[in-house]
Amino acid sequence: MTNAVEMRGIRKYFASTDTLAVDGVDLAVAPGEVHALVGENGAGKTTLMSILYGMVSPDEGEILINGKQASIKHPNDAIRSGIGMVHQHFKLVPSFTVAENIMLGVERNTAGFVNARAESNDVRILADAFGLAVDPDQKIEDLPVGMQQRVEILKTLQREAQILILDEPTAVLTPQEVNELYTVIRRLADSGRAVILITHKLLEVKAAADQVTIMRRGKRVGTYPAANLTINEMANQMVGRTVLLEVEKQPAKPGEPVISAKNLLVAATGGVPAVFGVSFEVRSGEILGIAGVSGNGQTELVDAIAGLRPVESGEIHFLNQPITHSSVRERRSAGMAHIPEDRMETGLNLKTTLDENVISTSYHRPPFSRGWRFQFDEVRSFTQRVIDAFQIKSASVSGSVRTLSGGNLQKIVLGRELNGHPKFIIANQPTRGLDVGSIEFVHKTLIAERDAGAAILLVSVELEEIMSLSDRIAVMYEGRITGILDGETASEQEIAILMAGGHLPDSVPMGSPS
Amino acid sequence: MSEQTGIRRTLETIGVALLAIFLGLLASSIFVIIAGSNPVDAYQRLFCEGFGAKGCQTFGDLLIQTVVDEDTGESQAVFSLFYGEGGHKLALILERATPLILTALSATVAFKAGMFSIGMDGQFVLGALAAAFLGYWLPNQIYAIAGITDPELAPEGLKTIMHILMPAACLGAAMIVGAFYSWIAGFLKVKLNINVLISTIILNAIAVQFVGYMVNYPLRSDMNNIARTARIDDTAWLIPFNRGLFANADIEWFSGSRLGVGFIIAVIAAILVWYFLYRTTKGYEQRMVNGSPLFARFSGIPSSRAMLRAMLISGALSGIAGAIEVIGVERRIVDGFAGAGSGFDGVLVAILARESIFGILFVAPFFAGLEQGAINFQFGNLPRQLGNIIIAFIILFNSMEYFLRNRIAAIWRKRHVLSSPAAPAPTEASS
Repeated sequence: MTNAVEMRGIRKYFASTDTLAVDGVDLAVAPGEVHALVGENGAGKTTLMSILYGMVSPDEGEILINGKQASIKHPNDAIRSGIGMVHQHFKLVPSFTVAENIMLGVERNTAGFVNARAESNDVRILADAFGLAVDPDQKIEDLPVGMQQRVEILKTLQREAQILILDEPTAVLTPQEVNELYTVIRRLADSGRAVILITHKLLEVKAAADQVTIMRRGKRVGTYPAANLTINEMANQMVGRTVLLEVEKQPAKPGEPVISAKNLLVAATGGVPAVFGVSFEVRSGEILGIAGVSGNGQTELVDAIAGLRPVESGEIHFLNQPITHSSVRERRSAGMAHIPEDRMETGLNLKTTLDENVISTSYHRPPFSRGWRFQFDEVRSFTQRVIDAFQIKSASVSGSVRTLSGGNLQKIVLGRELNGHPKFIIANQPTRGLDVGSIEFVHKTLIAERDAGAAILLVSVELEEIMSLSDRIAVMYEGRITGILDGETASEQEIAILMAGGHLPDSVPMGSPS
Repeated sequence: MSEQTGIRRTLETIGVALLAIFLGLLASSIFVIIAGSNPVDAYQRLFCEGFGAKGCQTFGDLLIQTVVDEDTGESQAVFSLFYGEGGHKLALILERATPLILTALSATVAFKAGMFSIGMDGQFVLGALAAAFLGYWLPNQIYAIAGITDPELAPEGLKTIMHILMPAACLGAAMIVGAFYSWIAGFLKVKLNINVLISTIILNAIAVQFVGYMVNYPLRSDMNNIARTARIDDTAWLIPFNRGLFANADIEWFSGSRLGVGFIIAVIAAILVWYFLYRTTKGYEQRMVNGSPLFARFSGIPSSRAMLRAMLISGALSGIAGAIEVIGVERRIVDGFAGAGSGFDGVLVAILARESIFGILFVAPFFAGLEQGAINFQFGNLPRQLGNIIIAFIILFNSMEYFLRNRIAAIWRKRHVLSSPAAPAPTEASS
């Protein structure tokens, strides 16, 4: 049988960053096959798929579609060749309906006017044919994320894609939505289509893929039937060394409450309330995990506690002092640290150098400065200590941070935030977008800080991360904490129910600390 | 914390700048050809007018030129830039570069705090107005109080003190006026989130019109055809080198130019600005606000204060530039005076120098020379605006830095790959 896609000897060099992103990679995907493409960040999997979809042109190598040589220079060529791609960040028009989005660019028209009814009808037929139920007349902005993804998939199918590329498709989904997606993927493969799944979640590979190609540093490490590899074997191949996937931790020894929030009401940008009366406390030496699908008020809650967003009502106490309206600097001086959700925009200033990034929270006081003047020797030696302690690779004290990988960037953030062992650490999605090796490092570091007596508030949309790190788990849904569970005994199912807005029969009453 | 990291990067930056100048000239030659002239001849003329000595004819003459001594009839080779009949090109270029350096610093300080202020023109003319007014009014007040009717007869002691205090007062007042005017735009940004680019454009228009009114009506000194203010008192004058400091030394170098203390002030300002931005915590705050306002807030950096401080310093620098133009060069404001435009040219210099302080010290004289060349330029039926066209093209190509750098890197790498048997391993570290 001819392969649906065959990529041979693909090579791509980026002059701007002096990186050989893809180095002689072969990839073959048969029709009816779900093929997972896994690798750490910077392994070249996204570049390889961008080449297949015509967004990046390769330096060397050839692409065969259904056994025939194809020249793909633009996404339009790719679409004509029957390739469809669902990007990690959806490319939909929020104010348009499902049908309008799917038919965008290929509108059904009557005498030059868009025929909305015909479009709706087309989309309904298409959706039924693949068993992907959607309401064609609903607006995208009213749909949950899982449905939006379905619209993206339908859009590629409308354009008769025989080869589907899904880029990190589960990153934004609830556990239920993930399961539904697996069913959809399987159905697409059964209809004879080839599905390529870009991911770095190894559970996903086991759950959804037939074949898996592992990439490391631009090279293909190997292609295997997914069933023949354990998750640990895959992780080791990805990283090139043995990785500890299970987080090793001792039971928590919680001390005094370090931070407490009472009945917090916080508005989102634009004034709409996003957090409704949330209360919790975190004690020293424990990790409180906040689980929830992204967009359920976690960002606003974290911002309010960190001092980046005003609190409408309610109180925050830190070490028995009210800090509800304190400035960021006052909070930080009192011993609060914050690992932000978005390290590129918020956590770091990529326009500047490493040393300037590691002192941004403490530059104004000794030993880094006296009055207006910097003490450069102190700045340099501190930066060097951070580089050494956190093993930040290919970094120099006053070198630009722009060229560093995601894992190394996060280490810079950790180096700055954990300096001087803060009493309270907010860790908002601390491993988002990181590869297996870096995740391991971040987890170990957080556990070590906990054992040293820090109170940690961990916010994550990765259920696995919450479950493996947290001593207690609070679940947020639509701006409320719908339950706080014990980290040892909570089951994935219980959390999943609360994340989706359901109730547990014996769940702890809303908002009260356990 | 260095401004630039690595010699390779610095060399690349210079390479890109030279390439941009070359491409700018190449692109402008299309217009020269359309006008029916020979680009090579036109550029020789333009550059000779701007940078060459008297009698400069070819590109070669720009560097070393053979001149004939009129008295002895002997010919000798000279460095053109340092040689000039009746005044040196270099001194003239530096005189014209002085306001550009200051306004470019002004723009750079604002840009480096993420404030895209182009209010240099407004701050410049207001600073000039403050200096022109004080330079005339204040000495006369002092004479009146001291009961001196003829300034010529003032006691030497008083004059000496006034020679120091009057320029200082003019510069100080111009700084304050410029800083305040710039602060308005900063305040509007910080409090009401009004776009600085737009507010400074409007503030510029207001300031220019206001100064025009003041020069035409309240401060008009005589019935001269073109309205002008009264000439400042001699004690407020920042006397050019050839008339003051080096008047007796008869150094030919300065003759014919009004290069003076103002230039030294500009260079000192550059050093201070550099020190402030890269060596102090306050400068650090300003730079951190740039590019990533979220990061600054997240880190607890007082962003609003940093932005307002940047605007104050920026305005003060432009104000000084205006004052120096009045008390150091023109000694009065003439309606629509020559210095106007220095504000916006400073923005261009800052952009060309890529916000590098030391880059400004090189780009400003280049810019001044090109402008000067264009003013004296006469060639065929080519307009004087050719200079502006060239500058515009150079800025355009210079802003293609990323592209040019990639070209250079690609060429370099191609060589590298061909000469080495194995391609280097990917450098991006994944950990």
